[in-house]
Amino acid sequence: MSGWANYIVFIIATGGFYALLALSLNLIWGGAGMVNLGLAGFFALGAYASALLTVSAGAPIVAGFVGALVVGAVGGYVVTMSTTRLRGDYLAIVTLGFAETIRLIANNEIWLTRGSDGISGIPGPFRAALGGWFNAAYAAGTVALVVLVWFLLRRLDLSPYGRALRAVREDQQVAQVAGKRILRFKIEAFAISAAIAALAGALYGHFNSYVAPDVFQPLITIYIFLAVAAGGVGRAAGAVLGAYLVIFFLEATRFAAAAIPDLSPVQHAAIREMLVGLALVLVLRWRPQGLLPEHIPPAPRPASTS
Amino acid sequence: MTARFSRLTRRTALAAGAMTLAMPAVVRAQGEPIRLATLTPLTGAGGPYGPVMAKAAAAVVEEVNKAGGVLGRRVQLVSEDDQTNPEAGVRAARKLIDVDKVAAIMGTWASSVTTAVAPLCWESKTMLCTVSGADSITQLPHQGYLIRTQPNSTLQVRRLGEYILSLGARRVFQMIPQTPFTQSSITLLEAALKKGGGDQGSLIYDDKKPTYRSEVDQALRYNPDLIFAAGYTPDTVVLLKDLFRAGFKGKIIGFAYSINQKLIDQIGQADVVEGVYTFAPSPAADATAYERVKKVVGTDSPDPYTCQVYDHVNLVLMAIAAAKEASGTAIRDTVRKVSQGGGKTIDNAVDGIKAITAGEKVDYVGASGPCDFDEKGDIIDCKFRYEQVKANKLTLLKIA
Amino acid sequence: MDTVLQAALNGLVSGTILALPAIGFTAMFAVLRYPNFAVAAFATLGAYGGWMANAWLGWPVVAALVAAFALAGLVGACIERVALEPLRPAGPLTVAIAAIALNVVIENILRFSFGNDLRGYDLPLARDVHFAGLRIAPQQIENLALALAVMAALFGFLAFTRIGKAMRATADNPDLARLKGIEPRRVELLAVLVGAGLCGVGGMLLGLDTSVDPLTGFRVVLSVFAAAVVGGLGSIPGAVAGALVIGLAEELATLAVAPTYKSAVGFVAILLVLTLRPRGLLGERAY
Repeated sequence: MSGWANYIVFIIATGGFYALLALSLNLIWGGAGMVNLGLAGFFALGAYASALLTVSAGAPIVAGFVGALVVGAVGGYVVTMSTTRLRGDYLAIVTLGFAETIRLIANNEIWLTRGSDGISGIPGPFRAALGGWFNAAYAAGTVALVVLVWFLLRRLDLSPYGRALRAVREDQQVAQVAGKRILRFKIEAFAISAAIAALAGALYGHFNSYVAPDVFQPLITIYIFLAVAAGGVGRAAGAVLGAYLVIFFLEATRFAAAAIPDLSPVQHAAIREMLVGLALVLVLRWRPQGLLPEHIPPAPRPASTS
Repeated sequence: MTARFSRLTRRTALAAGAMTLAMPAVVRAQGEPIRLATLTPLTGAGGPYGPVMAKAAAAVVEEVNKAGGVLGRRVQLVSEDDQTNPEAGVRAARKLIDVDKVAAIMGTWASSVTTAVAPLCWESKTMLCTVSGADSITQLPHQGYLIRTQPNSTLQVRRLGEYILSLGARRVFQMIPQTPFTQSSITLLEAALKKGGGDQGSLIYDDKKPTYRSEVDQALRYNPDLIFAAGYTPDTVVLLKDLFRAGFKGKIIGFAYSINQKLIDQIGQADVVEGVYTFAPSPAADATAYERVKKVVGTDSPDPYTCQVYDHVNLVLMAIAAAKEASGTAIRDTVRKVSQGGGKTIDNAVDGIKAITAGEKVDYVGASGPCDFDEKGDIIDCKFRYEQVKANKLTLLKIA
Repeated sequence: MDTVLQAALNGLVSGTILALPAIGFTAMFAVLRYPNFAVAAFATLGAYGGWMANAWLGWPVVAALVAAFALAGLVGACIERVALEPLRPAGPLTVAIAAIALNVVIENILRFSFGNDLRGYDLPLARDVHFAGLRIAPQQIENLALALAVMAALFGFLAFTRIGKAMRATADNPDLARLKGIEPRRVELLAVLVGAGLCGVGGMLLGLDTSVDPLTGFRVVLSVFAAAVVGGLGSIPGAVAGALVIGLAEELATLAVAPTYKSAVGFVAILLVLTLRPRGLLGERAY
């Protein structure tokens, strides 16, 4: 494969990683009303966990993915432990600091992470056997995984657990009065969400065969917020759609920016980044429900459940 | 119908003919343009460097187009932003390779971006020219599709050690942020200094902080007679100010890409930077490319990255001319035929292309060095250009 | 011992740099009840505002600081009115996210206009003076004095002026304030003007020591958040205390931990404070 096809396949795969991150964010933002500004940090945890397991410890790729899920969940659990009792603003600030700290550790603990050199040569599943078809196969696998995670999250959403989560989001006090163990719900939701973000990291690493601290900068978190906001907070399908819209937007602006004459390359670059921020503000302002508004299914009648 | 058709074509043909006469050689270069790309950091931590590099590359391409292009074709330069981030860099590279179908990507700066982009390049047979410093980069299995003009740390630090000793310094303190060459820089400089009876202390700092007072205190407790400030421009600005405030009277040396004219202008105070030494890879003293960069890019003291990207573009264009083919593989196979191995000494692509077309063998001597590459893509050897800040200007001390 | 004292002194100096943006951040939070994460951009704007006044117009430091305050404050107030206020019904976190997005917008407007080149003020740098075995920077004492003066002015404003009192009343209890005939929108707008303006002043002081470029404010923003949280979100004296604590902790930590981890100190401080004393040093309830 070559040319446009190759490029589009690559964008589909990358959009898949973004989609998983968006699903992760949607679960807690849309699901439980919590905000994770450290998405990049959990993305990094998964990428590094899987890279280290497969490259340094020689484990099979599947073990890398499982490791990423576990490390992500544990990371999410630890981060929320100290803040779940507090207002959401605190969690936002803690997660922001968390992502930066993870990046610092990845940069400095050279014995473990190889520092700013990063880890290269991360194996991709059947990379040699697939040859030129690797990217296409991987993109297909990623999309399948996105669909699987979407399906599982939807099941979760429709279950009593999902309703309880939404109750927590809408009104903590009422949910508490109704006997919901809010703290546990929030921590669990955050841990699951963090695990999904870590899974995205692992997928990223095995696709690009390289991870480095520079990958996990705050801007990617903003992309994902844009994705979830554009798709519709609270709708898993919206998060996936939003993620693909964002990657399309990021790539399309390259061509659009090139059409504006008489600007220096740095001005083109500034316009492209500025548009991302502007788009997020505009979506929040003019279409807060996103493209696919949340619709909350009615709770089943007691008669039908018993 | 027929009449109208012929009138139209005649008019078009007339107009086209008139235009061809009126236009300079630029447009007369026929056929599909040859596409090349720069991938430099225009946003993010590398922001202070990338824009100048993109500008320098564009200046060289413009010069070559004015002289008629390469292989009778116009050269088109596409500039993308890697955001100093491998993820964004890879996306940009994919677009350059798959959509623009460029023959070469030039100017990747952050080692992480280069390491991430390199596999895309060798898999798609696209040439990659980089200024990244990490030693690991040329060790990648790049099949020849990668050259770099930045000396690796072994070459660079060994020479730096010799130079520091020649300045009479014996107790050296290295202050360096966490980069891919930090560890090797510390061990290699220590070894080089110890061989000459010197010694080294070192500290790795956080490159985002607004003050380095405590770090400077730690450095001064070592009682150094020279401090090697091994960071990049934004953090070195802060470090130099804090060294000045602390009253450090010893010598200071830093990379020329960090202590450049912009840093001097930014600090704007002669006694803070007076006497600071800088060093950069360089061709021999009689080479002319450095002077040409000044003219082409329009600056009095081009920084080392500008010089290197100037060399990238010139080398790639001459390799295309010599191979008579504008593909990554052609560039890979011929770049060493124009960069080294004797022949007419050339300092720019316009002259180089003329000589190559005339059947001459050329040997490019660039602005950042002689540009002779080993099989791994590293430069074999180069001189270094030592400069010192005097009255807010970088003045050449020696090239050795 | 001298080493520790010197590091502590350095910590106080770097704490002062953090204090003004931390006050700005916390003051906006106190009145508006959402974390305005655009403080990084406000600080950068202030740095550019001061730089234009100083380098282009030749204004002296104090006048340039006023310019820094004005530019950051006005932009802050404009985006509050145009972009953030309409989002308030969607909840504080939505506003906070929009503020982050605005950071990116402003950073890139500055990049588009000025490029990435590092700019410096046309102000002389002075050597430190030595006193009892310690070195003290006269300039940073000046910065400290400036910061303290600004803080004193702010306290005076809040304590003695009608609108200042109204601001405190709104921060304490918006509903009660409204009952008393205080127009909340005016108070809120003023809080953003002052808060963003203070971030701008802090940004210019930061730019004096570092350099002015599109990332000037961004580099310290985590320490600023840490200062505000450690001091107690919403408490102005708390922000001052928090800034000094973070400054001290960052500098003292260099004696024990690798200096590369300086940026992580703030994060650890946040975690400690939130675990042990969630409302911060001088703050109110945090949950």
